[in-house]
Amino acid sequence: MAKYIIIGVGPAGIMAAERIRAMESNAEITMISADEHVHSRCMLHKYLGHERDVKGINFVPEDFFERNQIRWVKGEKVTRVNPEEKTVEMECQAVLPYDKLLIATGAAFFIPPIEHFREASNVYGFRDFSDAEAMDRAVEGKKRVFIVGSGLVGLDAASALCERGYEVSIAEMAPRVMPLQTDEYAASVYQKAFENAGCKFYLGIGVTGSKVNENGEINSILLSDGTEVPCDVVLVAAGVRPKVDFLEGSGIKIGRGIEVNEYLETSIPDIYAAGDVNGLSGVWPDAMDQGKTAAMNMCGVKVEYEKPYPFKNTSNFFGITMLSIGKIDPVDEDAEVKVVFDRGTYKKAIVKEDRLQAILIQGDISNTGIYLKLIKDQIPLKGKDVFKLSFADFYGIDERTGAFSYQV
Amino acid sequence: MKRIFIDAEKCDGCMSCTLACMNAHRKDAEGESIYTLDLTDPENQSRNFIKKNPKGGYIPLFCRHCDDPDCANACMSGALKKDLTTGLVKYDKEKCAGCYMCVMNCRYGIPQPDASLHYMVKCDFCEGKDGPSCVKACPKEAIYVKEV
Repeated sequence: MAKYIIIGVGPAGIMAAERIRAMESNAEITMISADEHVHSRCMLHKYLGHERDVKGINFVPEDFFERNQIRWVKGEKVTRVNPEEKTVEMECQAVLPYDKLLIATGAAFFIPPIEHFREASNVYGFRDFSDAEAMDRAVEGKKRVFIVGSGLVGLDAASALCERGYEVSIAEMAPRVMPLQTDEYAASVYQKAFENAGCKFYLGIGVTGSKVNENGEINSILLSDGTEVPCDVVLVAAGVRPKVDFLEGSGIKIGRGIEVNEYLETSIPDIYAAGDVNGLSGVWPDAMDQGKTAAMNMCGVKVEYEKPYPFKNTSNFFGITMLSIGKIDPVDEDAEVKVVFDRGTYKKAIVKEDRLQAILIQGDISNTGIYLKLIKDQIPLKGKDVFKLSFADFYGIDERTGAFSYQV
Repeated sequence: MKRIFIDAEKCDGCMSCTLACMNAHRKDAEGESIYTLDLTDPENQSRNFIKKNPKGGYIPLFCRHCDDPDCANACMSGALKKDLTTGLVKYDKEKCAGCYMCVMNCRYGIPQPDASLHYMVKCDFCEGKDGPSCVKACPKEAIYVKEV
């Protein structure tokens, strides 16, 4: 009976476990996680906003582990991986043997080296449930929250806090909000919506320092333009780093994340890595996909992992939905930019040599899934109006199974 | 599993399927006649689409309840799940957080946000009724249910 160990209960780990169980009914599957609760990090703001409790942000059925006969060691950190003995060591000193190991520990928030940020007692990240829980406790009875970074994570937290009536200030180095997903116009729409909800933005401005009170809490933030912004709690949403510290000395090769081959296997046989920890992509669907692919390879079915297209996201703030795929800004010199306003929906496409490079749609994003496929596979548009395309323009159907396929 | 098969050649573009879908999922007075369906209410959304075929004629686009569903593969809340018994991609509205990764990820562009922008809508195969309403409404047999 093969022994599988999966470290991490995020999307990659969970999907891998489910897939291993589907492929091997006898396998012994153990999952180890520092997390006490399975949760979707994309819903942490719903917890912080008091819209949902911890059960409400669970993305698997409550009986997931029993039903799949998985042993789950929760609230436990793995401290060491010993590839020679094929064991993992946990903080509680227990040692578990494996035949195949999947590392799906994800990433942790990063606190930039700004004065007092790393040692002050009121600086938080927003990555795991424990972070959201800590943040929720920290803002209790307080009024002013300063958020560093206006990416999706920063804005998620901001929207939750605004709705609870906090005074939220956000600093962003780039000149607009959600700089990776927006252009100037789309960003301004979101910015206004947040400002109407009570947020204050400091755009194109860096955080240069901070002041602390006698309790070691930051009570004001210093900005590069000389402004000083008083605050009670600081939330840092300035990027993440793969969680790989416990692999020191294991011999597993680490670059931007854990290095993996096309089968998601690390430099050491029988050890795989999926999800944010391998640095290939940072979005949920890709983590799920990697979990499944790694699981199949771990079960001996060789499946190459199709290179992900990580520049994609959707957002939904204050009833304004947006889809953003590819690099919308800046635009390559020889690319064509198409923009339309269509009944309240803003659409922008970047086309180069009859191929879609990027698309931004803010407003009605119905039926826009084709664009990811068109961009990812660089499918020729045949000179057609990119905003009027639907799958009908590429329609193919398998007469036997009824499955669709792209005819390009 | 059962799937709605499409014979695009037979489609006249009458959109009876679209109306039937809207009527089957209308928020008010379920089971009412189609003649009382409010076509101007954005909440009465159709889950299927009749598109003009660039080569002439029409192409009916219906959710495939895919074997490897892009929508469920993107779902971060656990709301969309492939049901291995029925083969359907099921949607649990309670779980949905309205992130719309499913909308982005479906390569055939089938899922859409609902009118409230809190949920998504896609074909549910008219579960609980005796077969999909769209199929029953098609006068041309351009769509039909088949076991695969």
